[in-house]
Amino acid sequence: MKKYFPLIHALHIYFGLFISPFILIFSISVLAFNHMGFLNQIYPVKSLPEIRTKLDYIPYDTSDLLTAKAIIRKLGIKGEIDFIIKNEDQFSFPVNKPGLITRVKVNTHTDSVIIIRQMEGSMRAMNYLHIMPGQHNAKIRGNSLFLKIWRLIADAVVYLLLFLILSGVFLWSYQKLERRKGFYAIILGFFFLIGLLFIIL
Amino acid sequence: MNNPFSTENIIYWNRKFHIYIGLFLLLFILFFSLSGLLLNHSQWEFASFWKERDETEIITPLTIPINLDSVSLLHNFMKQLKISGEISNVSLTPASIDFRVAKPGTIQDIHIDFKSSISDQKKIVFNWWGKMRILHTFNGSDKMNPGTQPNWLVTRIWRLSMDAIALGLIFLCTGSWIMWYKIRNDYSLGPIVLIMGVAGVIFFIFLLRII
Repeated sequence: MKKYFPLIHALHIYFGLFISPFILIFSISVLAFNHMGFLNQIYPVKSLPEIRTKLDYIPYDTSDLLTAKAIIRKLGIKGEIDFIIKNEDQFSFPVNKPGLITRVKVNTHTDSVIIIRQMEGSMRAMNYLHIMPGQHNAKIRGNSLFLKIWRLIADAVVYLLLFLILSGVFLWSYQKLERRKGFYAIILGFFFLIGLLFIIL
Repeated sequence: MNNPFSTENIIYWNRKFHIYIGLFLLLFILFFSLSGLLLNHSQWEFASFWKERDETEIITPLTIPINLDSVSLLHNFMKQLKISGEISNVSLTPASIDFRVAKPGTIQDIHIDFKSSISDQKKIVFNWWGKMRILHTFNGSDKMNPGTQPNWLVTRIWRLSMDAIALGLIFLCTGSWIMWYKIRNDYSLGPIVLIMGVAGVIFFIFLLRII
Protein backbone atom coordinates (compact mmCIF):
# COMPACT_ATOMS: atom_id res chain seq x y z
CA MET A 1 0.00 0.00 0.00
CA LYS A 2 2.91 2.33 0.63
CA LYS A 3 3.43 2.76 -3.11
CA TYR A 4 0.10 4.62 -3.22
CA PHE A 5 1.19 7.05 -0.51
CA PRO A 6 2.48 9.81 -2.85
CA LEU A 7 -0.64 9.64 -5.05
CA ILE A 8 -3.06 9.66 -2.11
CA HIS A 9 -1.08 12.44 -0.43
CA ALA A 10 -1.30 14.56 -3.60
CA LEU A 11 -5.04 13.89 -4.01
CA HIS A 12 -5.63 14.66 -0.32
CA ILE A 13 -3.89 18.02 -0.77
CA TYR A 14 -5.51 18.99 -4.08
CA PHE A 15 -9.05 17.86 -3.27
CA GLY A 16 -8.71 19.41 0.20
CA LEU A 17 -7.59 22.75 -1.23
CA PHE A 18 -10.39 22.73 -3.80
CA ILE A 19 -13.23 22.01 -1.37
CA SER A 20 -11.86 24.04 1.57
CA PRO A 21 -13.69 27.27 0.55
CA PHE A 22 -16.94 25.30 0.21
CA ILE A 23 -16.41 23.62 3.58
CA LEU A 24 -15.91 27.11 5.01
CA ILE A 25 -19.35 28.08 3.64
CA PHE A 26 -20.96 25.07 5.30
CA SER A 27 -19.10 25.66 8.59
CA ILE A 28 -19.68 29.40 8.86
CA SER A 29 -23.36 28.92 8.01
CA VAL A 30 -23.70 26.39 10.85
CA LEU A 31 -22.63 29.15 13.24
CA ALA A 32 -25.08 31.54 11.56
CA PHE A 33 -27.95 29.01 11.79
CA ASN A 34 -27.26 28.33 15.45
CA HIS A 35 -27.08 32.02 16.36
CA MET A 36 -29.70 33.50 14.06
CA GLY A 37 -30.86 36.03 16.67
CA PHE A 38 -27.32 37.43 16.95
CA LEU A 39 -26.99 37.48 13.15
CA ASN A 40 -30.25 39.42 12.81
CA GLN A 41 -29.01 41.98 15.34
CA ILE A 42 -25.68 42.68 13.67
CA TYR A 43 -26.76 42.10 10.09
CA PRO A 44 -30.46 42.88 9.55
CA VAL A 45 -32.23 42.09 6.29
CA LYS A 46 -32.59 45.13 4.02
CA SER A 47 -35.87 45.63 2.17
CA LEU A 48 -35.50 47.25 -1.23
CA PRO A 49 -38.17 49.59 -2.66
CA GLU A 50 -41.31 47.81 -3.81
CA ILE A 51 -41.87 47.68 -7.56
CA ARG A 52 -45.37 47.82 -9.06
CA THR A 53 -45.82 46.95 -12.70
CA LYS A 54 -48.25 45.28 -15.07
CA LEU A 55 -47.96 42.36 -17.44
CA ASP A 56 -49.46 42.70 -20.92
CA TYR A 57 -50.90 39.24 -20.26
CA ILE A 58 -50.23 36.33 -17.91
CA PRO A 59 -48.31 33.71 -19.91
CA TYR A 60 -50.22 30.67 -18.65
CA ASP A 61 -48.45 27.42 -19.42
CA THR A 62 -49.05 23.72 -18.84
CA SER A 63 -47.90 23.82 -15.22
CA ASP A 64 -47.69 26.41 -12.45
CA LEU A 65 -43.90 26.18 -12.50
CA LEU A 66 -43.72 26.88 -16.25
CA THR A 67 -46.18 29.77 -15.82
CA ALA A 68 -44.07 31.22 -13.00
CA LYS A 69 -40.93 30.82 -15.11
CA ALA A 70 -42.60 32.59 -18.04
CA ILE A 71 -43.68 35.43 -15.71
CA ILE A 72 -40.17 36.00 -14.32
CA ARG A 73 -38.79 35.87 -17.84
CA LYS A 74 -41.17 38.68 -18.82
CA LEU A 75 -40.20 40.63 -15.69
CA GLY A 76 -36.47 40.09 -16.22
CA ILE A 77 -36.01 38.31 -12.89
CA LYS A 78 -33.60 35.41 -12.53
CA GLY A 79 -33.37 32.83 -9.79
CA GLU A 80 -34.80 29.70 -8.23
CA ILE A 81 -38.58 29.59 -7.80
CA ASP A 82 -38.93 28.33 -4.25
CA PHE A 83 -42.64 27.45 -4.13
CA ILE A 84 -45.87 28.63 -5.75
CA ILE A 85 -49.10 29.79 -4.11
CA LYS A 86 -52.14 30.04 -6.36
CA ASN A 87 -55.68 31.08 -5.55
CA GLU A 88 -58.61 32.70 -7.38
CA ASP A 89 -57.13 36.20 -7.15
CA GLN A 90 -53.40 35.78 -6.97
CA PHE A 91 -50.46 33.86 -8.30
CA SER A 92 -47.45 34.41 -6.07
CA PHE A 93 -44.03 32.90 -5.56
CA PRO A 94 -40.59 33.77 -4.17
CA VAL A 95 -37.60 33.77 -6.52
CA ASN A 96 -34.35 33.14 -4.67
CA LYS A 97 -30.71 33.76 -5.29
CA PRO A 98 -28.14 33.40 -2.52
CA GLY A 99 -28.52 36.64 -0.53
CA LEU A 100 -31.52 37.99 -2.43
CA ILE A 101 -35.19 37.05 -2.14
CA THR A 102 -37.66 38.45 -4.67
CA ARG A 103 -41.35 37.91 -3.97
CA VAL A 104 -43.60 38.19 -7.02
CA LYS A 105 -47.36 38.65 -6.58
CA VAL A 106 -49.48 38.64 -9.71
CA ASN A 107 -53.11 39.73 -9.55
CA THR A 108 -54.82 37.29 -11.92
CA HIS A 109 -57.76 39.68 -12.55
CA THR A 110 -55.82 42.81 -13.44
CA ASP A 111 -52.43 41.28 -14.50
CA SER A 112 -50.77 43.78 -12.16
CA VAL A 113 -47.60 42.69 -10.40
CA ILE A 114 -46.01 43.63 -7.07
CA ILE A 115 -42.32 42.80 -6.67
CA ILE A 116 -40.85 42.88 -3.17
CA ARG A 117 -37.11 42.35 -2.78
CA GLN A 118 -35.04 41.63 0.30
CA MET A 119 -31.28 41.95 0.28
CA GLU A 120 -30.25 39.31 2.79
CA GLY A 121 -26.46 39.67 2.66
CA SER A 122 -23.55 37.28 2.42
CA MET A 123 -24.11 35.37 5.66
CA ARG A 124 -27.67 34.45 4.71
CA ALA A 125 -26.39 33.66 1.20
CA MET A 126 -24.20 31.00 2.84
CA ASN A 127 -27.19 29.76 4.86
CA TYR A 128 -29.24 29.50 1.67
CA LEU A 129 -26.51 27.54 -0.11
CA HIS A 130 -26.12 25.26 2.93
CA ILE A 131 -29.77 24.18 2.87
CA MET A 132 -30.09 23.89 -0.90
CA PRO A 133 -31.35 21.80 -2.65
CA GLY A 134 -32.68 20.33 0.61
CA GLN A 135 -35.55 17.99 1.27
CA HIS A 136 -38.54 20.27 0.60
CA ASN A 137 -40.36 20.93 -2.69
CA ALA A 138 -38.29 18.26 -4.41
CA LYS A 139 -40.61 18.27 -7.44
CA ILE A 140 -39.76 21.83 -8.45
CA ARG A 141 -36.29 22.16 -6.88
CA GLY A 142 -33.52 22.86 -9.35
CA ASN A 143 -35.62 24.97 -11.73
CA SER A 144 -32.75 27.46 -12.19
CA LEU A 145 -29.37 26.82 -13.75
CA PHE A 146 -27.41 28.01 -10.73
CA LEU A 147 -29.15 25.58 -8.40
CA LYS A 148 -28.65 22.70 -10.84
CA ILE A 149 -24.92 23.51 -10.72
CA TRP A 150 -24.93 24.04 -6.95
CA ARG A 151 -26.64 20.67 -6.47
CA LEU A 152 -23.73 18.99 -8.28
CA ILE A 153 -21.15 21.00 -6.34
CA ALA A 154 -22.79 20.23 -2.98
CA ASP A 155 -22.78 16.51 -3.78
CA ALA A 156 -19.22 16.64 -5.08
CA VAL A 157 -18.07 18.43 -1.91
CA VAL A 158 -19.60 15.70 0.27
CA TYR A 159 -18.09 12.86 -1.78
CA LEU A 160 -14.70 14.56 -1.82
CA LEU A 161 -15.00 15.12 1.93
CA LEU A 162 -15.63 11.40 2.37
CA PHE A 163 -12.52 10.76 0.27
CA LEU A 164 -10.55 13.18 2.49
CA ILE A 165 -11.67 11.26 5.58
CA LEU A 166 -10.51 7.93 4.16
CA SER A 167 -7.30 9.30 2.67
CA GLY A 168 -6.61 11.22 5.90
CA VAL A 169 -6.82 8.00 7.89
CA PHE A 170 -4.58 6.29 5.32
CA LEU A 171 -1.96 9.05 5.54
CA TRP A 172 -2.12 9.12 9.35
CA SER A 173 -1.55 5.37 9.51
CA TYR A 174 1.93 5.95 8.03
CA GLN A 175 2.83 8.62 10.62
CA LYS A 176 4.50 6.44 13.23
CA LEU A 177 4.94 9.27 15.74
CA GLU A 178 1.26 10.25 15.56
CA ARG A 179 -0.26 6.77 15.67
CA ARG A 180 -0.94 6.46 19.39
CA LYS A 181 -2.24 10.00 19.96
CA GLY A 182 -4.24 9.85 16.75
CA PHE A 183 -5.82 6.59 17.86
CA TYR A 184 -6.81 8.24 21.17
CA ALA A 185 -8.32 11.14 19.21
CA ILE A 186 -10.48 8.71 17.19
CA ILE A 187 -11.60 6.85 20.31
CA LEU A 188 -12.36 10.12 22.10
CA GLY A 189 -14.39 11.37 19.13
CA PHE A 190 -16.24 8.04 18.95
CA PHE A 191 -17.25 8.12 22.62
CA PHE A 192 -18.14 11.81 22.38
CA LEU A 193 -20.49 11.15 19.45
CA ILE A 194 -22.01 8.03 21.01
CA GLY A 195 -22.51 9.89 24.30
CA LEU A 196 -24.23 12.76 22.56
CA LEU A 197 -26.49 10.44 20.57
CA PHE A 198 -27.29 8.51 23.74
CA ILE A 199 -28.55 11.58 25.58
CA ILE A 200 -30.35 13.13 22.62
CA LEU A 201 -32.22 10.10 21.21
CA MET B 1 13.62 29.71 24.77
CA ASN B 2 11.76 29.24 21.50
CA ASN B 3 9.23 31.88 20.56
CA PRO B 4 5.84 30.10 20.67
CA PHE B 5 4.58 32.32 17.85
CA SER B 6 7.52 31.67 15.54
CA THR B 7 6.66 30.44 12.05
CA GLU B 8 8.28 27.04 12.73
CA ASN B 9 6.24 26.58 15.89
CA ILE B 10 2.98 27.56 14.21
CA ILE B 11 3.67 25.17 11.30
CA TYR B 12 4.61 22.37 13.71
CA TRP B 13 1.53 22.70 15.94
CA ASN B 14 -0.78 23.37 13.00
CA ARG B 15 0.22 20.00 11.49
CA LYS B 16 -0.22 18.22 14.82
CA PHE B 17 -3.67 19.75 15.41
CA HIS B 18 -4.69 19.11 11.80
CA ILE B 19 -4.14 15.39 12.42
CA TYR B 20 -5.67 15.21 15.92
CA ILE B 21 -8.69 17.44 15.27
CA GLY B 22 -9.30 15.70 11.94
CA LEU B 23 -9.25 12.28 13.60
CA PHE B 24 -11.37 13.45 16.55
CA LEU B 25 -13.99 14.87 14.17
CA LEU B 26 -13.78 11.89 11.78
CA LEU B 27 -17.07 10.29 12.82
CA PHE B 28 -18.83 13.64 13.20
CA ILE B 29 -17.81 14.63 9.67
CA LEU B 30 -18.94 11.23 8.42
CA PHE B 31 -22.28 11.62 10.21
CA PHE B 32 -22.99 15.13 8.92
CA SER B 33 -21.80 14.27 5.39
CA LEU B 34 -24.12 11.28 5.15
CA SER B 35 -27.09 13.06 6.74
CA GLY B 36 -26.46 16.02 4.39
CA LEU B 37 -26.62 13.67 1.42
CA LEU B 38 -29.89 12.23 2.74
CA LEU B 39 -31.38 15.72 3.03
CA ASN B 40 -30.38 16.58 -0.53
CA HIS B 41 -31.66 13.28 -1.94
CA SER B 42 -35.13 12.83 -0.52
CA GLN B 43 -35.92 10.62 -3.55
CA TRP B 44 -33.64 7.85 -2.24
CA GLU B 45 -36.14 5.11 -1.47
CA PHE B 46 -33.84 3.10 0.80
CA ALA B 47 -33.64 6.08 3.18
CA SER B 48 -37.36 6.82 3.16
CA PHE B 49 -38.60 7.88 6.59
CA TRP B 50 -41.91 9.73 6.32
CA LYS B 51 -43.87 6.77 4.93
CA GLU B 52 -42.35 4.50 7.57
CA ARG B 53 -43.29 6.76 10.49
CA ASP B 54 -45.11 5.24 13.44
CA GLU B 55 -48.11 7.30 14.60
CA THR B 56 -49.88 6.67 17.88
CA GLU B 57 -52.43 8.49 19.98
CA ILE B 58 -52.19 8.29 23.76
CA ILE B 59 -54.91 9.45 26.13
CA THR B 60 -53.72 10.06 29.68
CA PRO B 61 -55.59 11.41 32.72
CA LEU B 62 -53.69 14.20 34.47
CA THR B 63 -53.82 16.25 37.61
CA ILE B 64 -54.28 19.91 36.71
CA PRO B 65 -52.25 22.09 39.08
CA ILE B 66 -53.64 25.48 40.04
CA ASN B 67 -52.00 28.88 40.24
CA LEU B 68 -49.01 27.99 38.12
CA ASP B 69 -47.50 30.21 35.44
CA SER B 70 -47.45 28.82 31.91
CA VAL B 71 -43.80 27.63 32.04
CA SER B 72 -44.26 25.81 35.37
CA LEU B 73 -47.51 24.37 34.06
CA LEU B 74 -45.78 22.96 30.99
CA HIS B 75 -42.99 21.42 33.02
CA ASN B 76 -45.51 19.96 35.44
CA PHE B 77 -47.45 18.31 32.61
CA MET B 78 -44.26 17.00 30.98
CA LYS B 79 -43.22 15.49 34.31
CA GLN B 80 -46.61 13.82 34.69
CA LEU B 81 -46.44 12.52 31.11
CA LYS B 82 -42.80 11.47 31.60
CA ILE B 83 -41.64 13.17 28.42
CA SER B 84 -38.73 15.43 27.60
CA GLY B 85 -37.63 17.42 24.58
CA GLU B 86 -37.66 20.80 22.92
CA ILE B 87 -40.96 22.61 23.57
CA SER B 88 -42.57 24.67 20.82
CA ASN B 89 -45.94 25.79 19.39
CA VAL B 90 -47.39 26.60 22.82
CA SER B 91 -50.98 27.82 22.78
CA LEU B 92 -52.64 28.46 26.14
CA THR B 93 -56.33 29.29 26.60
CA PRO B 94 -58.40 29.30 29.83
CA ALA B 95 -59.83 25.91 28.80
CA SER B 96 -56.80 24.08 27.38
CA ILE B 97 -53.16 24.07 26.45
CA ASP B 98 -51.55 22.80 23.26
CA PHE B 99 -47.84 22.32 22.76
CA ARG B 100 -45.29 20.28 20.86
CA VAL B 101 -42.39 18.38 22.40
CA ALA B 102 -39.76 17.28 19.92
CA LYS B 103 -36.52 15.39 20.00
CA PRO B 104 -34.72 13.87 17.01
CA GLY B 105 -36.92 11.05 15.81
CA THR B 106 -39.94 11.81 18.01
CA ILE B 107 -42.58 14.52 17.74
CA GLN B 108 -45.38 14.73 20.28
CA ASP B 109 -48.28 17.14 19.78
CA ILE B 110 -50.12 17.41 23.07
CA HIS B 111 -53.54 18.81 23.84
CA ILE B 112 -54.60 19.05 27.48
CA ASP B 113 -58.17 19.86 28.37
CA PHE B 114 -58.35 21.49 31.81
CA LYS B 115 -62.01 20.66 32.39
CA SER B 116 -61.76 16.93 31.73
CA SER B 117 -58.12 16.70 32.99
CA ILE B 118 -57.29 14.59 29.97
CA SER B 119 -54.15 14.75 27.85
CA ASP B 120 -54.35 13.72 24.21
CA GLN B 121 -50.87 12.98 22.77
CA LYS B 122 -50.33 12.47 19.07
CA LYS B 123 -46.94 10.87 18.80
CA ILE B 124 -44.87 10.39 15.64
CA VAL B 125 -41.75 8.25 15.76
CA PHE B 126 -39.35 8.16 12.81
CA ASN B 127 -36.93 5.43 11.77
CA TRP B 128 -33.13 5.83 11.92
CA TRP B 129 -33.00 7.62 8.55
CA GLY B 130 -35.48 10.16 9.90
CA LYS B 131 -33.48 10.56 13.10
CA MET B 132 -30.31 11.20 11.08
CA ARG B 133 -32.00 13.88 9.00
CA ILE B 134 -33.45 15.62 12.05
CA LEU B 135 -30.15 15.52 13.95
CA HIS B 136 -28.52 17.35 11.03
CA THR B 137 -30.83 20.34 11.52
CA PHE B 138 -31.76 20.06 15.22
CA ASN B 139 -30.70 23.32 16.88
CA GLY B 140 -33.84 24.45 18.67
CA SER B 141 -34.22 27.57 16.57
CA ASP B 142 -37.60 28.79 15.45
CA LYS B 143 -37.82 30.27 11.93
CA MET B 144 -40.66 32.55 12.96
CA ASN B 145 -38.83 33.77 16.08
CA PRO B 146 -35.13 33.64 15.21
CA GLY B 147 -34.06 35.14 18.54
CA THR B 148 -35.45 32.28 20.64
CA GLN B 149 -33.01 30.03 22.45
CA PRO B 150 -33.35 26.26 22.86
CA ASN B 151 -35.35 25.39 25.97
CA TRP B 152 -34.06 21.82 26.37
CA LEU B 153 -30.58 21.38 27.86
CA VAL B 154 -29.81 18.54 25.44
CA THR B 155 -30.56 20.78 22.44
CA ARG B 156 -28.13 23.33 23.85
CA ILE B 157 -25.45 20.67 24.20
CA TRP B 158 -26.06 19.39 20.65
CA ARG B 159 -26.00 22.94 19.28
CA LEU B 160 -22.77 23.66 21.14
CA SER B 161 -21.30 20.48 19.65
CA MET B 162 -22.32 21.60 16.15
CA ASP B 163 -20.63 24.97 16.80
CA ALA B 164 -17.47 23.16 17.93
CA ILE B 165 -17.49 20.89 14.85
CA ALA B 166 -17.93 23.93 12.60
CA LEU B 167 -15.02 25.71 14.30
CA GLY B 168 -12.95 22.54 14.00
CA LEU B 169 -13.67 22.37 10.27
CA ILE B 170 -12.77 26.05 9.84
CA PHE B 171 -9.46 25.31 11.57
CA LEU B 172 -8.85 22.24 9.37
CA CYS B 173 -9.51 24.26 6.19
CA THR B 174 -7.41 27.29 7.05
CA GLY B 175 -4.71 25.08 8.56
CA SER B 176 -4.55 23.04 5.36
CA TRP B 177 -3.63 26.20 3.44
CA ILE B 178 -0.66 26.75 5.79
CA MET B 179 0.38 23.09 5.44
CA TRP B 180 0.23 23.25 1.67
CA TYR B 181 2.15 26.56 1.58
CA LYS B 182 5.09 24.91 3.30
CA ILE B 183 5.34 22.26 0.55
CA ARG B 184 4.04 24.43 -2.29
CA ASN B 185 7.04 23.68 -4.52
CA ASP B 186 6.18 19.97 -4.53
CA TYR B 187 2.48 20.58 -5.21
CA SER B 188 2.52 23.32 -7.78
CA LEU B 189 -1.11 22.85 -8.87
CA GLY B 190 -2.19 24.01 -5.40
CA PRO B 191 -2.82 27.66 -6.33
CA ILE B 192 -4.94 26.64 -9.33
CA VAL B 193 -7.26 24.31 -7.40
CA LEU B 194 -7.51 26.71 -4.46
CA ILE B 195 -8.32 29.64 -6.75
CA MET B 196 -10.95 27.49 -8.52
CA GLY B 197 -12.62 26.76 -5.17
CA VAL B 198 -12.41 30.36 -3.97
CA ALA B 199 -13.72 31.67 -7.30
CA GLY B 200 -16.69 29.29 -7.11
CA VAL B 201 -17.53 30.45 -3.61
CA ILE B 202 -17.17 34.16 -4.51
CA PHE B 203 -19.45 33.64 -7.51
CA PHE B 204 -22.20 31.96 -5.49
CA ILE B 205 -22.04 34.21 -2.43
CA PHE B 206 -21.27 37.65 -3.85
CA LEU B 207 -21.73 37.77 -7.62
CA LEU B 208 -24.79 35.66 -8.36
CA ARG B 209 -27.21 38.06 -6.70
CA ILE B 210 -26.07 41.05 -8.77
CA ILE B 211 -26.12 39.43 -12.22
